[in-house]
Amino acid sequence: MQRSTGLLLVTALSLTATAACGSGEPATPSASGGAKAVSITVACQPAKSAPKERQAWDDDVATFMKEHPGVTVKSTDQQPCFDPKTFGPKLAGGQMETAFVVPVTNYADVIAKGQALDITPYTSVIKNWNDLRADHKELVTKDGKVYGVPNVHYSVGLVYNRALFTKAGLDPDNPPKTWAEVREAAKKIAGIGPGYVGFGEYSGGNTGGWHFTQAIYGRGGDILTPDNKKAAFNSPEGKAVLQTLHDMRWVDNSMGTKLLVGWESLMVAMGSGKVGMMLGAPDVVTDVVNKFKGNVADYGITGFPEAKASLSGGEAFMINPKATPEEAKAALAWIDFRFNTVGKGRFDFARGKSIGNPVGVPDNAVYGDSPTGQALQADRVKNATLPVANYESYVQAAGTIPPKAEPMHAQELYAILDVPMSGVLSRKDAGIDQLLADAETKANSMLAAKG
Amino acid sequence: MISVGARASAGRGRGRKRSPKPIEVQFRTIVSPHQLNSPWGRRVYWLVLVAVLVLFTLAFVFPLYWMATGALKTPEELAQMPPTLFPADPTPEAFFEAWDLFDIGTLLVNTVYYSLGGWVVCMAVDVSAAYALSKLRPAFGNVILGMMLATLMIPAMVVLIPLYVTVVDLGLLNNPWALWLPAAANGFNIFLLKRFFDSIPRELIEAAQIDGAGPVRVLRSVVLPISRPILGVVSIFTIVTSFKDFVWPLLVMTDSDKMTISVGLSQTAGAVTQNQVMGGLLITSIPMVIVFFIFQRHIMAGLTAGSIKG
Amino acid sequence: MSFLRRNLTAYGFLCGALFCFTVFAWYPMVREFILSFQRTDLINEPTWVGLDNFTNAIQDPAFGEAWLNTLEFTFLALVCGYAVPFVVALVLNELRHARAYLRFVVYLPVMLPPIVAVLLFRWFYDPGPGLFNQVLDAFGLPPSAWLDSSSTALISLVIVSTWMNMGSATLIYLAALQNIPPELYEAAELDGAGIFKRIRHVTIPQTRLILLLMLMLQIVATMQVFIEPYMLTGGGPENSTVTVAYLMFQNAFTLQDYGSAGALGMMLMIVLLVFAAFQLRLTREDKA
Repeated sequence: MQRSTGLLLVTALSLTATAACGSGEPATPSASGGAKAVSITVACQPAKSAPKERQAWDDDVATFMKEHPGVTVKSTDQQPCFDPKTFGPKLAGGQMETAFVVPVTNYADVIAKGQALDITPYTSVIKNWNDLRADHKELVTKDGKVYGVPNVHYSVGLVYNRALFTKAGLDPDNPPKTWAEVREAAKKIAGIGPGYVGFGEYSGGNTGGWHFTQAIYGRGGDILTPDNKKAAFNSPEGKAVLQTLHDMRWVDNSMGTKLLVGWESLMVAMGSGKVGMMLGAPDVVTDVVNKFKGNVADYGITGFPEAKASLSGGEAFMINPKATPEEAKAALAWIDFRFNTVGKGRFDFARGKSIGNPVGVPDNAVYGDSPTGQALQADRVKNATLPVANYESYVQAAGTIPPKAEPMHAQELYAILDVPMSGVLSRKDAGIDQLLADAETKANSMLAAKG
Repeated sequence: MISVGARASAGRGRGRKRSPKPIEVQFRTIVSPHQLNSPWGRRVYWLVLVAVLVLFTLAFVFPLYWMATGALKTPEELAQMPPTLFPADPTPEAFFEAWDLFDIGTLLVNTVYYSLGGWVVCMAVDVSAAYALSKLRPAFGNVILGMMLATLMIPAMVVLIPLYVTVVDLGLLNNPWALWLPAAANGFNIFLLKRFFDSIPRELIEAAQIDGAGPVRVLRSVVLPISRPILGVVSIFTIVTSFKDFVWPLLVMTDSDKMTISVGLSQTAGAVTQNQVMGGLLITSIPMVIVFFIFQRHIMAGLTAGSIKG
Repeated sequence: MSFLRRNLTAYGFLCGALFCFTVFAWYPMVREFILSFQRTDLINEPTWVGLDNFTNAIQDPAFGEAWLNTLEFTFLALVCGYAVPFVVALVLNELRHARAYLRFVVYLPVMLPPIVAVLLFRWFYDPGPGLFNQVLDAFGLPPSAWLDSSSTALISLVIVSTWMNMGSATLIYLAALQNIPPELYEAAELDGAGIFKRIRHVTIPQTRLILLLMLMLQIVATMQVFIEPYMLTGGGPENSTVTVAYLMFQNAFTLQDYGSAGALGMMLMIVLLVFAAFQLRLTREDKA
């Protein structure tokens, strides 16, 4: 009896382990009453630090479940919704949500690896499917099969702090249209006093390379050659991007002294109200206000300076490849209800207004100019809490500037391009030609290795 | 085990200078007592003492003071240049905000649960293994011990990826066993425990066996009571290590309501104000500082036991 | 007890440990080897790819930099984290007052979770209102860029690392110093040896074993540095703080390339094992 104690212990351990293993499996639908009961998990519940938003989400879940008896919706609030670190493992471990969000950067990868369900048969669940931007739908389609529901679409502009413009003696209704004007304005804003930054820019954690891409696209340059085989950023446009940043940082001293690493760093700075301008899409305004305590009325957005093209960004909902057809349909119904219905869920602008959201920011062009898009825009303007005029110049510019998708192997390239960005922002004597040439060599060898 | 405490050697080398307040020398070190108590030696000694005290306080206590007062300042005061040495208007608000924003309640409960659970698993596994290797002496016992010790040569970071892939294969993500079981595979604990058990006199165990005690009773009523000191040391180190761990929980406990406090802080720290971060850090530090206050002697004794590691 | 019965009992007690070690210690070492020759994305069945992962890892633009940075970090961390604690222990051992306090404070940072030290120093390093530049400013010195310059970022990481780790080394040395028989010092003194000679001819030889051991532990520990670059610099600026462990983590968890990460892990393991074997021989010769 005594000798079995150790055995018992290990059996207990392994039993618990297997039990835990079992609980990780997706819940099997069980028949109850007439309708088949389905349980789905959905990603992107707003974090606890945004209580009103979270409440709105929870209300939507309750409404949805009432309208769809038999469907149980569980939410997860991991932030950010898509974390590349946990994505593969969660899927492998059976813990991935039924409906999850993928940023445009990762579409190709996720689809190629078979990590998203082919939803071609179910697209009709999304009632406004035909009104979604065709060019974005193209991105979630491979070999004629659809793998996602485009959720957000935007192009990059120039976000600026109107209050700081006024404080620096600039006209907030007449934001800079050229890089020379950006430099001038940045200098004036930095001149307000210590701690003020005219123009904020990233330099690490892959965000530096990402913003370099925004900037070089805007100037008409490119990251890769059209056949995606060689790097194309060691060009006059690439040099101009770095030269401008270098001069603003070291000649004008208008970019502050701190290197910004990772997405949150610049957002916090922007939210603190001491940064004058940054490259960004309208969602920056929403995030700065909702997550980083920025003052809604302070932020404006205008078209990208001297724009020739604009990096388009966004995200799509995709469905767990292990989901059953019932689960997939239920999840798409949720996506339809919460994210794609005029006047409901996230497009319930009246509610947004009542809980103090910055309504009026044109932060999502996923429906473009379609009838749905126009209805959304009308509704948005009707309930606007912000002077919509603050964004008018962006909307006009966005209509005329051609959108441009992210390059292949975006994350690998962004890591490589972090180096020249951090170079010009951290070293006064940085050799721009050398930095670009080095990055080009690295990118070419990376591209060769990836085939 | 070597005790860190002073090597008492009463009488020898004690300063017998008649000058006021001779510096007491309990044990002989590099500097001889005569040199130390010479007029110059005394001056140099006091100078060095004061310098070391000031330096250590600045280097190790002041940062923590800065953290605590940082949490008591307003964001505006924190951004102020030059900074204020004392908070102008100390307010504990940042602690409450940090508590809510980081969800520190949940995180702390998680972390304590993982640490204590890990301790129970670790002790159960390692004590019985060490007992078997030391007192029951199975065939191939030395080979097994050798293989267990060999794992100490492989640093944790190096096997991080395969261990992670293994845990994913077993479906243990977001399951505390993913923290506990790998932590129980601790060759060093087994080594320390076995070495202590080896030193328990045979006669004691044989006496118990003559009384009819089986292996479990021998472990429970003879070995464990004698081994209290080493059990204490191993326990504290196991708990502290798991409380401090970062990379592994970052990978395996990813659900926001299952994270440990270290991971939770790292995820949210970028999005909140500096005084809130400091508030969060302070709250996180307090449990460990309390543990240190209470178990200081065990920890320092365990450290020297740890120096034989390798 | 019969041989069989004794063994059954013993293995009954051992099986918990055997299970844990097999699954979570021994198997992962084997798995590392397998992993480094496979393409693994955790979704599809792994496929054998020969040496692809190794070529991939080596062709990684940051591969060379990562190794150089790791070596530089290890070297700097040794200068700070190895020599400083020894000197500190020497001084502490001479002091007759406030010993308990000094031991307590030097070990205090070791007790804190690393994330606390790292986030605290991230704030100290802030080029604007950060503590360090404000102190420099108070003394009329020019500000430093700390983490924000490729020339100072790595040393800044070493400073954090030393701050939070030096306590344990210091206390271990202190214990070793207290075990030196006083007679040796007295004899050396009679031979007319001054303070530095006593350190050289008595203290160092007497603590040699522990010094060698700590050297090995330090190198192994610093070679795997991860949390500092992960939390403080993201590998930048200009890749100046990308370490091998950091690169491994990026490969696995940003790019989902578990194979290349495994290959990097293998290389790091081999380097450390070669080093450990070398070190072991040195220690053994020393004993002989």
